[in-house]
Amino acid sequence: MEVAKKYSESELVHLLQQRSEQVFSYLYDNYSGALLSIIYNIVKDEELANDVLQEVFVKIWRQVESYDSSKGRLFTWMLNIARNASIDTIRSKSYQNSQKNRELSENVYSSAGVSQLHVDQIGLRKLVHKLKEEYRVLIDLSYFQGFTQDEISKMMDIPLGTVKTRLRTALIQLRGIIQP
Amino acid sequence: MNIQAYIESGIIESYVLGMADEHERAELERLSQQHPEIRAAVEAFELSLEQNAMANAMSPAPRVKSDLLAQLENEFKPIEQTKLVTMPVSNTGWLRYMAAASVILLVVSAATNVYFYNQFREASNQYQALLVEKTSLLAQNEALQTKGLDLYNGMQIMSDPAYTKVSMPGIKAEENKLATVFWDKKKNEVYLLANRLPQTSTDTQYQLWAIVDGKPVDAGMIDGCNGLCKMKNISNASAFAITLEKRGGSPTPNLQQLQVIGNVAG
Repeated sequence: MEVAKKYSESELVHLLQQRSEQVFSYLYDNYSGALLSIIYNIVKDEELANDVLQEVFVKIWRQVESYDSSKGRLFTWMLNIARNASIDTIRSKSYQNSQKNRELSENVYSSAGVSQLHVDQIGLRKLVHKLKEEYRVLIDLSYFQGFTQDEISKMMDIPLGTVKTRLRTALIQLRGIIQP
Repeated sequence: MNIQAYIESGIIESYVLGMADEHERAELERLSQQHPEIRAAVEAFELSLEQNAMANAMSPAPRVKSDLLAQLENEFKPIEQTKLVTMPVSNTGWLRYMAAASVILLVVSAATNVYFYNQFREASNQYQALLVEKTSLLAQNEALQTKGLDLYNGMQIMSDPAYTKVSMPGIKAEENKLATVFWDKKKNEVYLLANRLPQTSTDTQYQLWAIVDGKPVDAGMIDGCNGLCKMKNISNASAFAITLEKRGGSPTPNLQQLQVIGNVAG
């Protein structure tokens, strides 16, 4: 009936808080693709990414009361829910196990790198891929894998201060790539 | 702090991407309230991130949406939703009533203002008029008091046996004129009562003379006083007379203009 209707962010938030199915449907139609892209960037498996997407929209639906528009845009808020849910997924035991199995099967079928290459052609990873190796690694570890700077410092055996500085530089370069 | 350097430090991107720690988040949120340019930088990066993500959207599996709608089926509120979807319309209606009510209130308020302003103007004018009337009554009262006091003092003098009354009738052809002098011979005080002396022209004035040792002595000008007029002190007068002189008086009387004259009795 009102499929073509466009909602502003504040209207969306208000109507979601009023539990409107129509607006939830609209929110999904508009943002699921963009969120799926970031989820896929992190979990690197399309089937799993769709599962996480469903989980993310349940979270958005149930947590919309806690969204504070003074702290940022609705999309940013949803993006962070998607990222956190994706990182939680790759840290789960079942994911760790499935990754091991996949590595085995990929080795068996000599398809290693195919999926990886595909992921790097999508969304934010495509942009990050344009950065120099030393920056790309840091963003991968911190943004896509969710490690803290302290963890990265220990993992890579470089001083925390250097991690901080390089990460900041990487982010500034990333902004330069994102902004037209 | 250098805001531009802060914006360029990468903290904005770190914050938006959810990579900033608790301390950094709190600091940025505090600073962005004080510095609109920080808030603008945050919004700009959010927007470009959003546009980039939208441009790189993937197609979700169709099952996800149907699963979601089935999963959340019991959490939707269809009735309220319908009501809320039509909200813009009902909202407008409500606003229209509010607007109508506001206009009515404004008109009523304006009319009341005009009414009260007119009332105020009227009351203010009446007050001013009363104020003027009160001032004039006060002045009249004061004048009457002065006049009353003068008359009282005059009565005291006229009934005082120390004063000798010298009646000065009009000379020939001036019979209708009359003036009276009250003279205390011991204290030499002289008072004049102008019983019947017509108003002089503006350039002339009545002057009182005392005849001392056969010569006229100036006893003062007669000038608009109530009842008795205090004149100059005179001793050893045998008679009093009034002439019409030029305004300010003369050193010697113009006998052509003699008005009234009376001898001191005894």
